[in-house]
Amino acid sequence: MSKAILTDITKCIGCLKCVSACKEANNLEMDVPRIWQKNDGLSADNWTSIIQKPANHFVRKQCRHCLEAACVTACPVGALHKTDVGAVVYDNDKCLGCRYCMMACPYGIPRYDWDQSVPYVRKCIMCYDKIKIGDQPACTKVCPEGATIFGDRNELLRIAHNRINENPGKYINKVWGENEVGGTSVLYLSDIDLDFLSYDMRLGKEPLPEKTDPAMKSVPFAFVGMGGFMLGLNWIIRRRMEFSKQQNEKAKEKE
Amino acid sequence: MKRVQNTKLVLWLITGFAAAIGLNRFIFGLGATTNLTDSTPWGLWIGFDVMGGVALAAGGFVMTAIFYIMKRDEFHPLVKPAVLTAFLGYLAVVLGLMFDLGLPWNIWHMIIYWNPHSPLFEVGWCVMLYTAVLLLEFSPVPLEESSRYAKIRKFLLKFRFVFVLLGIMLSTLHQSSLGSLFLIMPYKLHPLWYSNILPVQFFISAVALGLMMVSFESLASHWLYKRKPETDLFAKLGKVVVWVLAVYIIVKMTDIISTGKFNLILNGSWESYVFITEILISVIIPIIIFSIPKTCNNTKAQWIGSFMVVFGMVFNRINVGGLTMLSVTGDTYTPSWMEISISLGVVSAAILVFLFAIEKFHIWDLKPQDPESLPYTAPSFDYSSHAWLGTPNVASLTKYSLAFVISFAVGMALMPEQKLLGKGIENIMVYRASGKDTLTINGNRDDNFVLFPHKDHIARIGQDRCVTCHHLTLPGYQENSCWECHTSMYNTVDFFKHDWHTSSTGANLKCADCHSKGFTKSKETAKKCTECHPSYTFDQNKITAVKNYFAPSYTDAMHKLCVSCHIVKSKEMKDKPNLAQCSTCHSTAPPEKILANLKWETALPHFDRVILPDIDTLKIKGR
Repeated sequence: MSKAILTDITKCIGCLKCVSACKEANNLEMDVPRIWQKNDGLSADNWTSIIQKPANHFVRKQCRHCLEAACVTACPVGALHKTDVGAVVYDNDKCLGCRYCMMACPYGIPRYDWDQSVPYVRKCIMCYDKIKIGDQPACTKVCPEGATIFGDRNELLRIAHNRINENPGKYINKVWGENEVGGTSVLYLSDIDLDFLSYDMRLGKEPLPEKTDPAMKSVPFAFVGMGGFMLGLNWIIRRRMEFSKQQNEKAKEKE
Repeated sequence: MKRVQNTKLVLWLITGFAAAIGLNRFIFGLGATTNLTDSTPWGLWIGFDVMGGVALAAGGFVMTAIFYIMKRDEFHPLVKPAVLTAFLGYLAVVLGLMFDLGLPWNIWHMIIYWNPHSPLFEVGWCVMLYTAVLLLEFSPVPLEESSRYAKIRKFLLKFRFVFVLLGIMLSTLHQSSLGSLFLIMPYKLHPLWYSNILPVQFFISAVALGLMMVSFESLASHWLYKRKPETDLFAKLGKVVVWVLAVYIIVKMTDIISTGKFNLILNGSWESYVFITEILISVIIPIIIFSIPKTCNNTKAQWIGSFMVVFGMVFNRINVGGLTMLSVTGDTYTPSWMEISISLGVVSAAILVFLFAIEKFHIWDLKPQDPESLPYTAPSFDYSSHAWLGTPNVASLTKYSLAFVISFAVGMALMPEQKLLGKGIENIMVYRASGKDTLTINGNRDDNFVLFPHKDHIARIGQDRCVTCHHLTLPGYQENSCWECHTSMYNTVDFFKHDWHTSSTGANLKCADCHSKGFTKSKETAKKCTECHPSYTFDQNKITAVKNYFAPSYTDAMHKLCVSCHIVKSKEMKDKPNLAQCSTCHSTAPPEKILANLKWETALPHFDRVILPDIDTLKIKGR
């Protein structure tokens, strides 16, 4: 039962109600431009933002809650984890502040409390407390246009494909988030290209954790293998030394 | 011994400076001291201190493998220094990590919270275990000094082979796992550096770097203590490193060519130049230097060759660690001087400990003379005051601690107040609103206009009630507006212009004209504004509460004033919409739909008079 959010760019009017609902729901402070922010509107106090694109296109940016999230794999202490309902949530108490999740995220979503002396990683958690008990996130609840909706992921994918099929020519024939990096729990329908949400990159279908998997799986073999190799090398060299010693002694005896 | 002492003095200076900056980093946080951003969360401290530091410590496992496993006894003089360098290198990495981690006191969490899928988890465990192993490997050396610990020493020496073997196994994992860290960033790391066999490349290059670090560190310490370097041993290491580097470049180039990235080397982007430079410094030139017998046996060439490999491979770690991601993330990152000084400080502290160990323990076969404990030397005098500084050891300690304290103080004094107080807030000056009946407020000139129906406000509040919003303070201005005191968009500012009051072209006042109430010159002892300017009628104005002459930021002033009132008004008047929403004002080009939804009757008639900015330009909202 994995939940998801579907955002339809053609329906969004850019009223920012989701942004303020998010702030309210998560008790986020007022935000001012900081020198370390990226110009996409997201920050430690802004977990979702509206990016305005030419010709009245409003694109809501938020955490994609990947099905196989790079941040979850990256975190050395498991402070981030993917819940059964689909949200990738963060545990303050485990985090040690290495910021590897920020490095690993292909969408560049996690933000940091750079101004704090006790900083934490900040990102959208899909209002986990709400969806856990069957409610929906603050942003989808407040949307006046139904541009961003919450529901079962398979159901939302069906809706998305239906909309594409029923309105030929209205959308680009692609559901963003269906397959990229193994699929995400935040889906987009759009009539403009949305690749700018991920560092202007067209992401492949392969989940990012699979990239590190082979290396991590070969760790025990590398460990034992190197040990075995060194022991073997040592054994051979000792044998050789003993052998040459014996030879020398024999040569001496002959003399 | 002047050379050693001067070097130590410089190192103490750097360490003291870095200690001050380090203290500030913990008090004020990462944002105040680093130039790291949300797009570049790893910077110099990870690239140089951690990635480079681990690579520099590779000498330890390479030398122990050569000496204990391959039984090459002639390398005995290089083993102890190499293990010491590795041990100190790892301690330096942990120290550097302490500054870089956001919550360094949680570093032990890796022991209890496990995520075996994470490469960083592997890295963390390798650091912990290998540092412990290095301690066990090295501790027989200091324990040698006293017979009291002979038993422990004997016990440790019994297991030395096990420690050495464990150390090599852990190092293999650790050096390669630093490469595994970046496997998860195929879209961020530049293709010339990204590779599926990054761990293998990291391991091979670490072996080469380890060999050359041993040479370089020995050459440097021999130069420092004016001893004859073991040129023949370095030549042997040089011959080995040629092979290791050859394997490295073959593996690397095969990978690049087989994945079809070769054209990226020659395409003229800045990354391609960085790549060529890196390969030249770290591989090609050292191979040439060490494969020609004449240069291979020459001390100066060994200096150059080993330094090139060390520098080039650390450069490689920095490139992988984030430098070559900048064009993808579109960020600019230059380490702040505070980051650089902490990095240098960590290195300096490690070198100081290294020199201490070399002088106190039997690291070398012949202990160098400890310059601080020469019993019979001429008394040293301070150059300027000609005061006797005490016996040599007291004199040097005086000098070192003085250097530390002075540079610590300088470091403290140099911390930019603006950066600490502003906490990374962009300092944007505010401009006055423009327009006539309807004002367009665009305080920071970012073309995000806020429309303000001025005429309607006058009509509603009353002609004579300008005081409700405007202050009646500045002489000549009987209705000076918000921006004249709230001069900064997001920062709290001091609106009392002290410099203008003292300037001869301004008010031309003497200090005592205002600070007449006490001996100290402070805000508390100064005259109040109204004592000189009776027309400044703060009390008439209900929104003015002057506290220490600080004016809140322009946005705070605007929002607290407008929004608080709008919330009240929207509740009072049932038929009015709630205008206290961000989107009411913050929209460069409000879509028709919003306007219809809002039913903003007062604003609508004015829209035709206002020139709205071009809607086709990209705008980001939601701040």
